[in-house]
Amino acid sequence: MDDSRFSHDKSPYERPNFPYRCGRGALWRTPCFKGPKIDGSCGGTQDCEPFLSKGRWSCRREKRFGGACKEGPGPNGECSWQRPPCAPRKTLRSIRGQISFLAVAVIIALLATSQALNLDGGRFVSISDAGPLSSSHEKFTETEGCASCHSVYGKGPVGWVKAVFTQEDISVSCVSCHSFGGPDSMPHNNNFLKGQDFRKTECIMCHREHSGGRMSTKKSSAEQCNTCHKNKFESFSNGHPEYPEKYPYFNRNSIKFDHGSHLNKHFENPKFTEKAPASCIGCHQVTLSDREVRPLAFESICVDCHGSQIQKKDLVLLRLPEFMQNFIDGEALTQSCNFPDQEKSEEEFLSVSTEMPALVSTFLLNVPEDDPEIYERPLQELISAMAEESALPVEDLINSKTEIPQADKLLMGMNPEVLKRAACSWGLNLEYEPPAEAKFGGWYADMLEVRYKPTGHRDPVAKSWVEFALAASTHQEDEDNAARAIAMRDQVISEKEGVGGCVKCHAVSETKTPEGKKKLEIEWHYKDVNNRPHSKYSHSNHIEIMGKKRSCSNCHILDGKAEYMLSFKSFDSTKWSSNFKSIKRKACVQCHAESQIKHDCQTCHVYHLNPGFKKKMFSEKKQNEKFKNDV
Amino acid sequence: MMKKLWGFLVIAVLFFTLIWVWTSKVENSLGYPEFISGGALFFIIFLLCLFNMRKRLPFLPIWSAHKWFLFHSVAGFLALSLFWLHAGVLWPKGLYVQILSLLFYGATLSGIVGLIMEKVYPNLLTRIGSEFIYERIPREIAEIRNKAENLVLECTEKTGSDTLAQHYLETLGWFFQRPRFFLNNIFGGQNSQTWVKEQCSILERFLNEAERRYLEQIFALAETKRKIDYHYSLQTMLKTWLLVHVPLAAAVMTMVVWHLIVIQVFFN
Repeated sequence: MDDSRFSHDKSPYERPNFPYRCGRGALWRTPCFKGPKIDGSCGGTQDCEPFLSKGRWSCRREKRFGGACKEGPGPNGECSWQRPPCAPRKTLRSIRGQISFLAVAVIIALLATSQALNLDGGRFVSISDAGPLSSSHEKFTETEGCASCHSVYGKGPVGWVKAVFTQEDISVSCVSCHSFGGPDSMPHNNNFLKGQDFRKTECIMCHREHSGGRMSTKKSSAEQCNTCHKNKFESFSNGHPEYPEKYPYFNRNSIKFDHGSHLNKHFENPKFTEKAPASCIGCHQVTLSDREVRPLAFESICVDCHGSQIQKKDLVLLRLPEFMQNFIDGEALTQSCNFPDQEKSEEEFLSVSTEMPALVSTFLLNVPEDDPEIYERPLQELISAMAEESALPVEDLINSKTEIPQADKLLMGMNPEVLKRAACSWGLNLEYEPPAEAKFGGWYADMLEVRYKPTGHRDPVAKSWVEFALAASTHQEDEDNAARAIAMRDQVISEKEGVGGCVKCHAVSETKTPEGKKKLEIEWHYKDVNNRPHSKYSHSNHIEIMGKKRSCSNCHILDGKAEYMLSFKSFDSTKWSSNFKSIKRKACVQCHAESQIKHDCQTCHVYHLNPGFKKKMFSEKKQNEKFKNDV
Repeated sequence: MMKKLWGFLVIAVLFFTLIWVWTSKVENSLGYPEFISGGALFFIIFLLCLFNMRKRLPFLPIWSAHKWFLFHSVAGFLALSLFWLHAGVLWPKGLYVQILSLLFYGATLSGIVGLIMEKVYPNLLTRIGSEFIYERIPREIAEIRNKAENLVLECTEKTGSDTLAQHYLETLGWFFQRPRFFLNNIFGGQNSQTWVKEQCSILERFLNEAERRYLEQIFALAETKRKIDYHYSLQTMLKTWLLVHVPLAAAVMTMVVWHLIVIQVFFN
């Protein structure tokens, strides 16, 4: 092959960036030398453009195309080498440009069409669709579509331009449905950083949508927590602070149950061995347990030993005390009690009773219990009134002591006949003789007293009296009356003498009213510990892994030295000693460590404070529409 | 060349590491690492597009085309790595991002195929021993065909035998008509060589001494034509892969711009 065939005087000059190429060449024929024109028309219909000089046409064919031809131009100046025009073809470069332009045009058209058809926020397949929503968000956005969260959606180009220059926090859309126990844009929804310089939080910092299926939450790592937390550490097993001193027994139990004495003393006693549970799960409900492993009900686990003790502890409402003088109008009493007319006795009055009045009645009448000269007149007036109106005067006295009338609850089940008969007997300075022994519980009169015998656990009257006594002891302004209220309270909540012995098991704690006033409350129910909203623990998972028998004692170790019951002598629930030794971090690290069970922050900690929902997913109107559609 | 390549590779690895560390840091501080990785990806895609611009401005004294090509290749792989870092998944959900991903993967894949061809084919073309300018191949083929046909006519006239002419019309004429054995050539096959030899050897036994001399000349022309065909096939591939790559890249860039708009509007 001749290497000089490409020299400038031998070959045509063709460039790859020409838009057209010769049509003949495209058909694998000999292409013309001149090639197509820039506009795509054939440029090779003749070999040269003859030039007129001094009245003669001369050939101008280039040397590389063979130089001047023999024939020369015609008389009219036309080239002798004429040929029919070809149809030039586009070069690859030109085609590439066209395809590129087409590709861009198709994309723009697709975007424009998609946007035009989606301005109403409908569910047409959109190429601005960033991806399917999670199943939890998919349903409620069905109607409004993207506009449910993106306020700019469907507002057209003007809205889009505005949106570019407007700061929009999408968290606003999130918190229109989601609620938290504190400010939504504060770390951990908590106020502990109030007044400090902190970074405002946004939902999308952690939660990402448009991934379909489940809501995508960023994998939480120790590094992420370390970003804000001053106490930085690598992992739970490496650097996590030791648990607090009392962990996890921060709060006093609502039910006084001395695990130490029960496990080591009572359950070992041959008298109770049969009734004693075989293990912890005999009393604690393991199934579905989460943070709390709640004990079973009193009726299931306590009643065998403690059930009969409740009925043995009565409330003494009234007691006929020793009187020095008789102020009762005998005639009126005779009439009230429908007694036959009696002759007036000339004998010196000698009280049938040598007792002191009941503390409940001294509080209700606001009289001292140890001074007959002061209490005898009001008490005798009460007895006279009771003889006439039965429970009504007592009811009035009780209601006068409370803001909200409570006599209905406190005297529930009171038989007016019994009260009247007792009052009539006492009015005549006689002991009341009941027709039969009170066995079954309820109000009854016996000799010198009107008493209430609790029917059993959860007795509503006994509960009401305990609550009444606790409330009365903190609401008296008068000093003497306050002392009497406290005396009554101490008797009512006495473990040995108090009605039903409720306080033997139920703790009494001092709390505060919303107004900030101190008050005493008896904790009737088992109390879930919810003062650690940012931590979680599932007992059931651990019990499942470690087995029901040994899993409890693995972490909860009895503290023989703890003065557990002593803690309940005070009303201050913060000062207490648990039956169990506090749990140390090393107990958890045994399993939650590197290359063992997961130990990232969110295994035990919850970011949000009391997450919930603000509004119903379906409004009433939508529900009705749905109902109509379903029908 | 290797020095330049390693230079670009080191820069690319350092750049990716920087972005990766940065995004990890931002992610750990509950920020939006997508902005970092996305910004870096956009920057690299922009640089990749500059290669096409550079081709249109050959007079600018900014690197040689070869250097640009090396840079473009390394940056292409860097862009793929950044894309995965940015998306977090191989195949995202949502029609719009799926279209963007599809176009990106298409452009990347076509780029990789093109890169392989750019590395393999020039060596194969050099090995064949002749050089042909792609745009002039039609003229070359036409010239060879004319020469072959002239030889056939001359042979017929001088020897008085039309054996060679008949054979040319029936078989060799097809070969000289236009480039042949395209697919076989691009996969490095030898079918054309075998075919030419076979056709000439079949005919040889029927020709006399004078005709054989003409056949030898025609065989020489056929060999040249075979080399041109080889050049044509491989050069066509070297040029036409861009018909896929460049439009896809243009579409990617369009979608990237759209993506930026959408992010600005909905994620501002």
